[in-house]
Amino acid sequence: MNLQPALAPTEALAGFAALLRDHGLTVGVAEQQAMLQAALRLGGLREAPVRAAWRAIACHSAREWRLWPDLFDRYWHPERLRGTVRVSGQTRPTRDLRQAVQQMREQMGSAQQPPTSAKSAPQTAADASHTGQGDSDAGSPRAMGGASRHAPQVEALHRRDGQMWLPQELGELQRLARQITAQLRPLPMRRWQPRQPGKRLDLRRTLRRSVAWGGEPLAPAWQVRREEPPRLFILADVSRSMEAHAALFLRVARAFAQAAQARVFVFHTRLAEVTPLMQRDSATVQEKINAVTAGFGAGTRIAASLQDFARVHARAQLRRGAHVWVMSDGFDTDAPDQLAEALRSLRGHGARITWFHPTRTLPAAAALQGARSHIQRFVPLASLADLAAARHLLH
Amino acid sequence: MQGPATPTPSALREALQRAGYLADEDLATTVWLAGELQRPLLLEGDAGVGKTALAQALAQVQGAVLVRLQCFEGLDLAQAAYEWNYGRQLMAIRLHDGQPGSVKESDVFSRDYLLERPLLKAISQDGPCVLLIDEIDRADEAFEAFLLEVLAEYQITVPEIGTLRAHHIPRVILTSNGTRELSDALRRRCLYHHLDYPTLEREIAIVKTALPEADTRLVEDAVQFVQRLRHEDLSKTPGIAETLDWVRALHRMNHHTLPEDMAVLLTTLGCLLKTREDRFALGAERARQLVEGRRTVGVAEKAPANVVAS
Repeated sequence: MNLQPALAPTEALAGFAALLRDHGLTVGVAEQQAMLQAALRLGGLREAPVRAAWRAIACHSAREWRLWPDLFDRYWHPERLRGTVRVSGQTRPTRDLRQAVQQMREQMGSAQQPPTSAKSAPQTAADASHTGQGDSDAGSPRAMGGASRHAPQVEALHRRDGQMWLPQELGELQRLARQITAQLRPLPMRRWQPRQPGKRLDLRRTLRRSVAWGGEPLAPAWQVRREEPPRLFILADVSRSMEAHAALFLRVARAFAQAAQARVFVFHTRLAEVTPLMQRDSATVQEKINAVTAGFGAGTRIAASLQDFARVHARAQLRRGAHVWVMSDGFDTDAPDQLAEALRSLRGHGARITWFHPTRTLPAAAALQGARSHIQRFVPLASLADLAAARHLLH
Repeated sequence: MQGPATPTPSALREALQRAGYLADEDLATTVWLAGELQRPLLLEGDAGVGKTALAQALAQVQGAVLVRLQCFEGLDLAQAAYEWNYGRQLMAIRLHDGQPGSVKESDVFSRDYLLERPLLKAISQDGPCVLLIDEIDRADEAFEAFLLEVLAEYQITVPEIGTLRAHHIPRVILTSNGTRELSDALRRRCLYHHLDYPTLEREIAIVKTALPEADTRLVEDAVQFVQRLRHEDLSKTPGIAETLDWVRALHRMNHHTLPEDMAVLLTTLGCLLKTREDRFALGAERARQLVEGRRTVGVAEKAPANVVAS
């Protein structure tokens, strides 16, 4: 393990756990203890087994499993990532006025010194020892971290005039999300499940129970038809061309993640799931999404992202009655016919596709024109009022 | 952990290999750690990547009893943990009917009258035991909640008797195909490993281990074909079990390489493609492209002469 000798292992581990938590992994005290135990038993000097063991302890889902190699290397081997874009959970300078002024002064004071706001998680093992000090060297990895494209580009997602939401607007969005969720019809299954009271007598179970009373059916068992809650998948385009609208899309997505347990993905050149970030009620969701998407290159690969979605991320859950909401302007850098093919394959799984576009009129993108037959409905979505207007269509 | 202890992850890996299961290093470490920390192991991955086979191999390695609980919709306590043997209870009562005071309530609610279902069976084993809870995602959420007690404390509470604790803590392996999100509480109690489709080399090694009599050339070509097939847009991607079936079928048909005649190849593809759509999507032409992909990409680009010679 590439630990600095001066650094206590527990401290380095705590820093690592904080980084993992920032990326949506559930790593509490119990997990850290287990990680320490594992390292002790394996002999902490050999990296490969420790890495595998910690992965088994810290990851709890396939999403986290895929995230692991990158996070591990970023923290313990920052030198391996030289030359690549490094991503942190901390990309947004705070909007508090006093801190903004302070930050401006700092920037003027030292051109080399990057802006520092309150630190969240240390980004490398070397950083862990400095967590309390609140300063950072210009050359430190963290200074290059944090969605290290130019700040204004990263800012764009959350420094829009239309993005200042009043509490009543947020409340309205939540209410709309609940309304629309209630309209999404649950999917009736062929099977029946036990329920007291129910509609139909469960003869087998009743007879089985009656044995306890010597054959008298004193406790009849009932059943109802099983219903699956509607499955909702939201795919939001966060590419450069959509920067102005991404904030709204993500707010809408978040409302549905909470109201309808929707799974939320963001994409531009790659697809990434952000559902765990959405379910937490934290003000820093936006910056974490920035962090997730910061390593993405330029352009928008809608077709490739949709294919990835259908074949990897939602493979087992895309069934009849699944709703897929794509929020994008439809400008795709993949070949135009590829989008039609990707959508056709999604339809093949039985999913219903609704396309939300930020423009008043239907998007003019060639790829989308060719794929129109696979999309069940187009809905304009540029403001909350649009969603309210469309609520009768979404069922 | 009970049973023959495996001192290191690499020893466990070798033992698994002797049992016919080729685990990579990470998986061996995770399985070893699950034993050391006495934690259940949750395995996720597509169907056919070897989740269930791991439990079987582990039981073989440890000389342990394999107790399997196959989950399904509507699985309840009576089918998973225990049930009172009402018939026997009634019989005992009737037998002593004329003798007042001879049967007490505690007599008919003792362990003798308890029917052991897999969970209780695993907990009450005297020797080492591997408990396989297969396809946990098919069971209902309510059952998952019940499992928490079993997995955290290795005990089952029967109201009439009390709490039954495990004498020997079983090694628990849960598998899931990801058709439903499991609860966070269950996930956090388990170590987690995501099994992917094996790499080309590993899959060849697996097939060779399982079918040592099959021709090497056939194994290599067939595995390459399957690996390529997995990149196709199929509704059911073939797993390792399907590869094994297919190679076995080809071997039985006395093929030493992949058959040149696409018609013959297509007749055997039923081993790999399990839905009608997939079967129709893969015509003779596409199958030929997949077979020939190996020649153009693997060998021909570098040394065309070899291809001509072969």
